[in-house]
Amino acid sequence: MKNLIFIAIIIIFGLLQTTILNYVNIFNIKPDLLLISVIIASLFFEPIWAISLSIFAGILKDVFSVNAFGMHTILFFLWSFLIIKLSRKITLDNNYIKLVLIFIIAILNNIIIRLIFLFLGNFISLGLFLRISFIEPLYTAFIFLLVLKFAHTLLVSD
Amino acid sequence: MFKFKKKSLIHTAVFVSFLLLLSSLIPTLRIPAFEILKYPLGLFTLIRREVEGIIFYHRNIVQNERLKKEIDFLRQKLNTANEIYLENRRLKNLLSFKQKTQLKVVSARIIGRSADNWSSIVIIDKGSYHGIKRGFVVINYLGLVGRVIETGDSTSKIMLINDPGFGVSAIVQRSRQEGLVSGTLGRSLIMKYLPKDADIRACDVVITSGLTEAYPKGLLIGSVISIGEEFSGLSRYCQIKPAVNLSSIEEVLIIIP
Repeated sequence: MKNLIFIAIIIIFGLLQTTILNYVNIFNIKPDLLLISVIIASLFFEPIWAISLSIFAGILKDVFSVNAFGMHTILFFLWSFLIIKLSRKITLDNNYIKLVLIFIIAILNNIIIRLIFLFLGNFISLGLFLRISFIEPLYTAFIFLLVLKFAHTLLVSD
Repeated sequence: MFKFKKKSLIHTAVFVSFLLLLSSLIPTLRIPAFEILKYPLGLFTLIRREVEGIIFYHRNIVQNERLKKEIDFLRQKLNTANEIYLENRRLKNLLSFKQKTQLKVVSARIIGRSADNWSSIVIIDKGSYHGIKRGFVVINYLGLVGRVIETGDSTSKIMLINDPGFGVSAIVQRSRQEGLVSGTLGRSLIMKYLPKDADIRACDVVITSGLTEAYPKGLLIGSVISIGEEFSGLSRYCQIKPAVNLSSIEEVLIIIP
């Protein structure tokens, strides 16, 4: 049941990402709700479900983006896999650790995406690159904090 | 008897004359009278209102609540009407452009935007079912908007002109200087590969050259904001402000070749 609810949440996040979030952007930058859903799935679900949900979120993001291939699908799978591996080595229970984790992942995600775009021949200015690469993770981390409370209530079984 | 009647008649005549005189004076007296009576009248009205307010306190509260609700409802209606008015104006512009232009166009509404911050795309509510194909040029009544990059049955994805992956051959309208316009992901576009001695000035209008096959010649792209020199020093570039406000477009036209 929780899995189905989370699939619905991912779909809602995807729709919000392409519609309403364009009106609440900061410096023309919006947070990555689908990346938030990947992190939450990796932290609260069984590994197989976490990876499946992350891939689903990646597919959804690729559907609404302009890419030659499923770039986000691959990256979201990668982040989910890494979080699962990391959670076996260290404890990720603390909210601050989760916050740092999503911030780092969002920065790495942006850098990798930009490098792929650069490889495909799309050039943008360094200023814009830095602005997107750092403001988006900050914004995403802030929204993550808000979403985390709801996720905890919804997904942690009693 | 006659004497009495005569006296009475004189009295009546004097009275009537007095009345007539008074009535003729009334318009003149009216304004000063009002001026004098203004303050006592105001005071009495105030007292009456306050007393009425105390007597009908409960009724006023109920009425106030009802009126507040009514205001909210009317404000909402006004907003909706305003939104409809703006939409009507935009659609009128699109329609008049559609009627004036020689091009065969299909109008569409924007239903979504790019999910990430690294690209500038929009999703429209028309697809291959409406005759739209990949590569078709997208405009609105102000100028060039982008091109179709993907089509579904009833939706299509459009790459906007400020996407870094976008490129179109363009000319400066005044000097006919050619260059390549591409997106920067920001609010401006960039026109590259201009010779060092290119005749180009700020505020020059940039239009499509027609050399890029799908794009008809003469579509307005924007106007020059600034001119700079490439790092290599071999060529120049200029920044262009798009004619279309890409962050607020809601309806577009797709050119069917």
